[in-house]
Amino acid sequence: MDRLFELGSEFWVAALETLYMVSLTLLFGGLAGLAIGLALYTTRAGSLLANRAVFNILNVIINFFRPIPFIIFIAAVQPLSRLVIGTGIGNNALIFALSLAASFAIGRIVEQNLLTVSPGVIEAAKAMGAGPFRILRTVVIPEALGPLILGYTFVMVAIVDMTAVAGFIGGGGLGNFALVYGYRQFEPVVTWAAVLLIVVFVQGVQFFGNWLARKVLRR
Amino acid sequence: MALVALRNVTKTYPAPEKDAEPIVAVDDVTLDIEAGDVYGIIGYSGAGKSTLVRLVNALEPATSGSIVVDGTEITATPERQLRGIRLRIGMIFQQFNLFNSKSVWKNVAYPLTVAGRPKAEIAVRVDELLDFVGLTDKARSYPDQLSGGQKQRVGIARALATSPQLLLADEATSALDPETTQEVLALLKRVNREFGITMIVITHEMDVIQSIATKVAVMDGGRVVENGDVFEVFSNPQNTASQRFVSTVVKGIPSPAELAVLRERHEGRLVTISFRDGDASQAAVFVELAAAGLEFELVFGGINDIQGRAFGHLTLAIRGADAAIDAALAQIAARVDVTEVA
Repeated sequence: MDRLFELGSEFWVAALETLYMVSLTLLFGGLAGLAIGLALYTTRAGSLLANRAVFNILNVIINFFRPIPFIIFIAAVQPLSRLVIGTGIGNNALIFALSLAASFAIGRIVEQNLLTVSPGVIEAAKAMGAGPFRILRTVVIPEALGPLILGYTFVMVAIVDMTAVAGFIGGGGLGNFALVYGYRQFEPVVTWAAVLLIVVFVQGVQFFGNWLARKVLRR
Repeated sequence: MALVALRNVTKTYPAPEKDAEPIVAVDDVTLDIEAGDVYGIIGYSGAGKSTLVRLVNALEPATSGSIVVDGTEITATPERQLRGIRLRIGMIFQQFNLFNSKSVWKNVAYPLTVAGRPKAEIAVRVDELLDFVGLTDKARSYPDQLSGGQKQRVGIARALATSPQLLLADEATSALDPETTQEVLALLKRVNREFGITMIVITHEMDVIQSIATKVAVMDGGRVVENGDVFEVFSNPQNTASQRFVSTVVKGIPSPAELAVLRERHEGRLVTISFRDGDASQAAVFVELAAAGLEFELVFGGINDIQGRAFGHLTLAIRGADAAIDAALAQIAARVDVTEVA
């Protein structure tokens, strides 16, 4: 317990680092994932801009990257990370790798949620003279908004989980804090303090996501 | 020139699997729909009627043939320009297809936004339409808070928003109970009467045709097997598919099973007399039978009213001397169709 109080400031810095990594990843990965998901959805056979070639290429890329274990993925994209953001280590490098990995997962989740929109509703919009991009923006996304919010909530929890390995490339965050000050120094109280804060954080995110989805779905 | 003119229109879908035949959904259909018509298209599921109606607003491209809507050959029109044409064609659906994420008001406003109308005009028009379908108090509700009939009324208001010349109704009442069906049909009748909007009404229910259509086409296996004036088709169906549909609403000539029951219950010769508007009145026929000294009773049948014109089939059990009956029947056969059924 005493040890935890000694580490007080490091603990809160780690918490902020986790928040930082999660929110930026959700921003970049979330946007990229939305784009990938929309592209998958619209190019699928029978969809608004059906295009077998584009759909298949996207599919292969996603299926290539998705199964790579994240800790290996971080190492593998390090050269790319240096090229794009100028560094291969630290919190920002983790955000880069995590955004990339998350965008593929988010793309799949977005695609699946968009597929729940009734084809009849899309047909109705088409019959009213709406073009594919308008339909995507004003019909498909609003109609799928509830499930999309729940999907993003799910992803956010997974991202919190993945930030725990930031220490691997010299990043921080609560995961790294628990490993360095708790696990390696035989201080279970320190480990559990980090665990509890992560749990509280995840619960908060889930609660907020559920509330928002309910509000959108008016249920 | 007809508002919608279909010439030898065919729609083929690729075979669902290898070695299978391609599916011919619409097979060589030629049809003229005049402005102001309420044109019913009836057929069993899979007869191709829903595909046919989607060819008219080019939601599905035709495989071959010509489709002219209001002077525009739509089979030769690129997608971008088709969107402009679709603004002039309203469509309503069996499952209503309302936007669940938008309020009733925004649902009705949607096609106007697509058409690029100014905000002020949209506001006036939406209020006007909601008033027309009697849902002014539901403007702020969401579709999942409405009953089926209310949903379809929103669908109708939405389809009418851009003041189309043509309204396509794809099984618009098939998901509704009988009472609500009548309510929606009455509304569609008003749409046709008050705005002069031409309608193509797809249905598998003959009473929908009976209550609102002026013309009807019967589809079977992708082909139009019979078409024409509703009264003509109802009172004298030529094709077997048409006869089956007509028999669902018109009590006509007794079936063999019904005939067996009649035979058991009634003495005398069973004769079906078919009346059509313009033929001899029933009274004249009955007077002649009575004058011949024959005894008769009405055992089966009914009189139907289609757009104010009556027709029907009455089966009589006639008793008397055979020669007298033959003579009387020969006389009335000059006025009406007479069929000796047993």
